[in-house]
Amino acid sequence: MKKIRFNMEKKQMLEGLVFVSPFILGSALFFIFPLFVSIKLSFGKVVKMLGFKIEWEGTANYLRAFLVDTEFVPMFLDIVKQTLTKAPLIIVFSLILAILINKKIRFRGFFRTVFFIPFLLGMGEVMKQLLNQGVDKQVVFLGDGSLIPREILAYLGTSVVNAIDTFFGVIVVVLWGSGVQILLFLSGLQSIPDSLYESAKIDGATEWEMFWKITLPMISPIMLLNIIYTLIDSFTNVTNPILAYIQEQAFSKIQFEYAAAMGWIYFLFILIVVFLVMGILNRYVYVAEAKGAKRNERKSI
Amino acid sequence: MKERVSRGIALEKPAKRDFPVMQRAYEFITNPKRIGAALTRTGTYLLLSGFSFVFLFPFLYMLVNSLKTNADLNNILVNWVPRDLKFENYIIAYRALDYFTYAKNSVFITIVTVIGHLLSCSLIGYGFARYNFPCKKVLFLLVILALIVPVQTLIVPMYMVYANFGWLNSYLPIIVPTFLGYGLKGTLFIFIFRQYYLGLPKDLENAAKIDGAGFLMTYWRIVLPIAQSALLVTVVLSMVWHWNDFYEPGIYAQKATMTMLPARLNNIVRLVNLPPEEMFEDMQLIDQENSINNAVLMAGTFMVITPILIVFGFLQKKFMQGIERTGLTGE
Repeated sequence: MKKIRFNMEKKQMLEGLVFVSPFILGSALFFIFPLFVSIKLSFGKVVKMLGFKIEWEGTANYLRAFLVDTEFVPMFLDIVKQTLTKAPLIIVFSLILAILINKKIRFRGFFRTVFFIPFLLGMGEVMKQLLNQGVDKQVVFLGDGSLIPREILAYLGTSVVNAIDTFFGVIVVVLWGSGVQILLFLSGLQSIPDSLYESAKIDGATEWEMFWKITLPMISPIMLLNIIYTLIDSFTNVTNPILAYIQEQAFSKIQFEYAAAMGWIYFLFILIVVFLVMGILNRYVYVAEAKGAKRNERKSI
Repeated sequence: MKERVSRGIALEKPAKRDFPVMQRAYEFITNPKRIGAALTRTGTYLLLSGFSFVFLFPFLYMLVNSLKTNADLNNILVNWVPRDLKFENYIIAYRALDYFTYAKNSVFITIVTVIGHLLSCSLIGYGFARYNFPCKKVLFLLVILALIVPVQTLIVPMYMVYANFGWLNSYLPIIVPTFLGYGLKGTLFIFIFRQYYLGLPKDLENAAKIDGAGFLMTYWRIVLPIAQSALLVTVVLSMVWHWNDFYEPGIYAQKATMTMLPARLNNIVRLVNLPPEEMFEDMQLIDQENSINNAVLMAGTFMVITPILIVFGFLQKKFMQGIERTGLTGE
């Protein structure tokens, strides 16, 4: 048998295609085709489940979400508000924690493991049961008078105390949900060479100055990645009420078309937010000027 | 000024020999820099301990409450130290969960899907990192897009696809996509592997190729073994996410015998909320003390998460090293 010979470039190309071939197959089956059906569905009506028979109906489903449905828009705004308050908190706290456990301290391994435990508990049924028991509100609970004496609490009044408790409840849930972000920041901090800090110290820089002049610029690509991850995670989390609503419409009320339309509105919104954030923040991401610095040539996406 | 003072002290050398402790304490007090450092260190540890308490809280709460007796549970004075430890809660929870039957389901799904993600995502990520091929940019855009699209946007057409394949009421809709780079956050792992390989020098692979290894052989024998840290990160994340996932299994595999272990917690919740007579009938319990309460629920929750904690305990050290070494994110 005669061996077929390719030139280098073609051979490279074919090898690459072999590696990504599972992904091409997967994309066709589990992403592009369903995406296509979903668009069709959102503009149409199911005639028959088997064989994907769908009739064209126009934009009725989309209009219904905005004009007829009284629940969709308020729920939508609520989730946007929630994400916008929680995402900055997650980023700030996970950065602080990552810096703390990146220091040369005792029991560092212990602290790192501890900060990962809520991630192991997950955001599924286990955490749901714990939250149902009100764990989030018991972590910092002023009412029992163990942190602040009762006299001061009485002076502050119940509404203030309740507000503080709610505030801490939010913070606590935010902290529990930031395991992956802490890991991302930690790995970013690890990649900053020590020599930068050493030379800064010799020049007399304080810790505070080093944070703003070295740590933050060096970590900015991961910061961007982290912000986007946090946004997506918050928007696409399965515990998200709007997504639960979409699911309810689809499977309990058997309105596949309407659910698909809502899904698309929601997805387009996420897409716009992500691209906006990327467009705005990309300008602030630090890329080393030196061309020799190979590690900085790769930009985060 | 203060520096001068401390230098003056240092001249009186005999005193240092007489009272080394006092001397050191005096030097310490008069040196503001050292005090500052000590204060920052104390502050760091205080902050870390405070945060640790917050992060450990759900875990400790679960553990303590799972051992409480009925009386302790209702006594608001008993908070962290139960007066009696009641290990029977675990036995009751075990029966209510029907633990082994459903743990088998969860373990099976988790192992198979993690293997799927390891094989497919490392392979695909390598392709993206090292090769040029037509439509590479478009395909990579798909990787990112698939991450952004919520599961729920696609759940209806996916359901239809699986219905057409005849895969409903089996685990195939959960397992098969993971072998093709999709599944639960599959493309995130492709991204992680790509970033990891991008940071890896090509020298070893080139050497292997010069020695005559084919490209798949090079990948299997040379690349995968060095990618240990990225593999570990994928194992831990994929495992935790799959174990705790209730969404997709709940939709595609609705048969009662196919339920995952975490979803079984709802059975305990149901029993807790039942009127007492029915509860006793349901569980064939006789005495009041062994009734199903929130302590049993916490025991069940703890048992559900135990396998994950054990596996993570084994992987923990290498996992953290992996995080340090890889730059999980690249740049």
